[in-house]
Amino acid sequence: MTRVVMARTILDEKTLPAGLSTPAMIRIQDVVVEYGQPGKPPKRILNGVSLDIHSGEFVSIVGQTGCGKSTLLRLVLAEEMPTHGQVLVEGSPRKQPDRRCGYVPQKYSLFPDRTVLDNITFGLEVTEIGILGSFSPARRVRRQEFQLEALGYLQRMGLRESDAVKYPHQLSGGMQQRVAIAQALIMRPKILLMDEAFSALDPGTRAGMQRLIKDLWRETGTTILFVTHNPREAMMLASRVIALGRRGGDEDGANIVLDLPVPESSDDPTIAGLVQRVEQTAFPGGAESDEQTGAPEA
Amino acid sequence: MSILQIHAQPSRTTVWILSWFLFATGVVSYFWVSRGRHLDNPDDRVMPTLRQMGRAFSDATLKPAEDDEVSANADQQSLAAKIRSSMLWKDTVATGRRFLISMALLFPAVLLGLHMGMFPYVGSFFLRFVLFFDKIVALSLLPILFIAFGIDELAKVMLIVVGVAPTIVLDSFNLTRSVPKEQIVKGFTLGAGDFSITYRIVLKQIWPRVLNSIRLNLKAVMLFLFAGEMIASQDGLAYRIALLRRHMGMDTIIPYVLWVALLLFLVDFGMRTLNRKLHPWFLEA
Repeated sequence: MTRVVMARTILDEKTLPAGLSTPAMIRIQDVVVEYGQPGKPPKRILNGVSLDIHSGEFVSIVGQTGCGKSTLLRLVLAEEMPTHGQVLVEGSPRKQPDRRCGYVPQKYSLFPDRTVLDNITFGLEVTEIGILGSFSPARRVRRQEFQLEALGYLQRMGLRESDAVKYPHQLSGGMQQRVAIAQALIMRPKILLMDEAFSALDPGTRAGMQRLIKDLWRETGTTILFVTHNPREAMMLASRVIALGRRGGDEDGANIVLDLPVPESSDDPTIAGLVQRVEQTAFPGGAESDEQTGAPEA
Repeated sequence: MSILQIHAQPSRTTVWILSWFLFATGVVSYFWVSRGRHLDNPDDRVMPTLRQMGRAFSDATLKPAEDDEVSANADQQSLAAKIRSSMLWKDTVATGRRFLISMALLFPAVLLGLHMGMFPYVGSFFLRFVLFFDKIVALSLLPILFIAFGIDELAKVMLIVVGVAPTIVLDSFNLTRSVPKEQIVKGFTLGAGDFSITYRIVLKQIWPRVLNSIRLNLKAVMLFLFAGEMIASQDGLAYRIALLRRHMGMDTIIPYVLWVALLLFLVDFGMRTLNRKLHPWFLEA
């Protein structure tokens, strides 16, 4: 079970000011995204967004609903292409999603036809066995290795071994997201993209998931891009918070209105002020309350 | 308590009685009317009695058809041999063979729909054509099919394929498109390629629904098969029904119709059971 060990130390660069020591893991350059329908003027979603994210950073993107947070994440994922500008990952433009980026969406994060164990091992089987390899005699041995590794991840995610044979619909929302994180992490992605991954969870489960993801980030040093509409959640989890908002009217599209480093300790007295600043800047109409979103006090 | 309440909870016995009530009413009504007709006219052939139908069905299952050659030692044959050479068995085998060939030919239709849904170029190439083709009334093509493919098996099988395949293609296409995009993106991020995602993620997810779709189209398959057999065939269940119609052989036609319904019911039941066993996640979810 050598691969189960996830104790990669946090990269030193993470604590350094962005852009000073290493080339950016993700570089978003003057990105504009417009959606258009024939016969109608295009609607601008993002307007000239530029951003560097460095290896090992935990970046939260916050903003009001519809401000383009998820669009930005989909650009990094290469699920969408910008109308203008470019998105580089490790210095090269992306053409389609690949295994460098793990992905945990809010919904449909697991394959419903596979058990928990098969969901987690799916990536390993596809990449290391493949369709043709499915007929080789060594397949069974490899599968057992993958399953052992997956069980390790399952345990790390706080799930029981008996959950391994369950189907996704037999799990609670929180358990499903834990499996989805394990499914992504087992592939050792360089970047983990989480799109409102905890939004559908109840407050208690959500707090547990927040602790888990922060611990995993500390252990693995994976670069995490976390989209949320909750400023407190963003501040509590991330090492850096980016707020998107519209400076002009709705037609102008969103841009970065705040880019804040977050103190390491969640007890830091400045955090409350930072949260307030994010709320005032990115949520002029008022942010959702913690009671609704379940995020603990930062 | 009113029976028209949304939250009504009928007992198991009530459900059982209700579900069989219409069957029982139909059977009792038939034999009541049949009895009356036979009292008026003992030679009535429109509504045969149970005894007449039993005798005719027994003949169909144990004796060869009148137009078949009868072997010299027919009386000394074992029961299994008698059944194998019987009219009903031969007709069932002939219809069953055509049915299975047609069902097998529907599999490429599923694959076409899958690829149309997954690959935009394939979708653009085929979609408009299949949508148009789906609107053609298959039975109107019957003369063309018989001219093009002759009156042998091929024309009958083609009739079924032409009649049902576009529906299956479009159904598979729609099911493929309804798979959440997150699943496909997730596949890519887990290292899967286009074809791995198509077959290992999407096909596996839509397969139980495709089986359901095929199951719901079983009656259409049989409809086209029967049309083909009735018009141009030398054997098969529909051929026999059409032949017996000329002699008003209702004592055989009615058991044949019930036999066809039973066979379809068993195929439907088998497919449902198979679906449940193969895809436990599907029905539960």
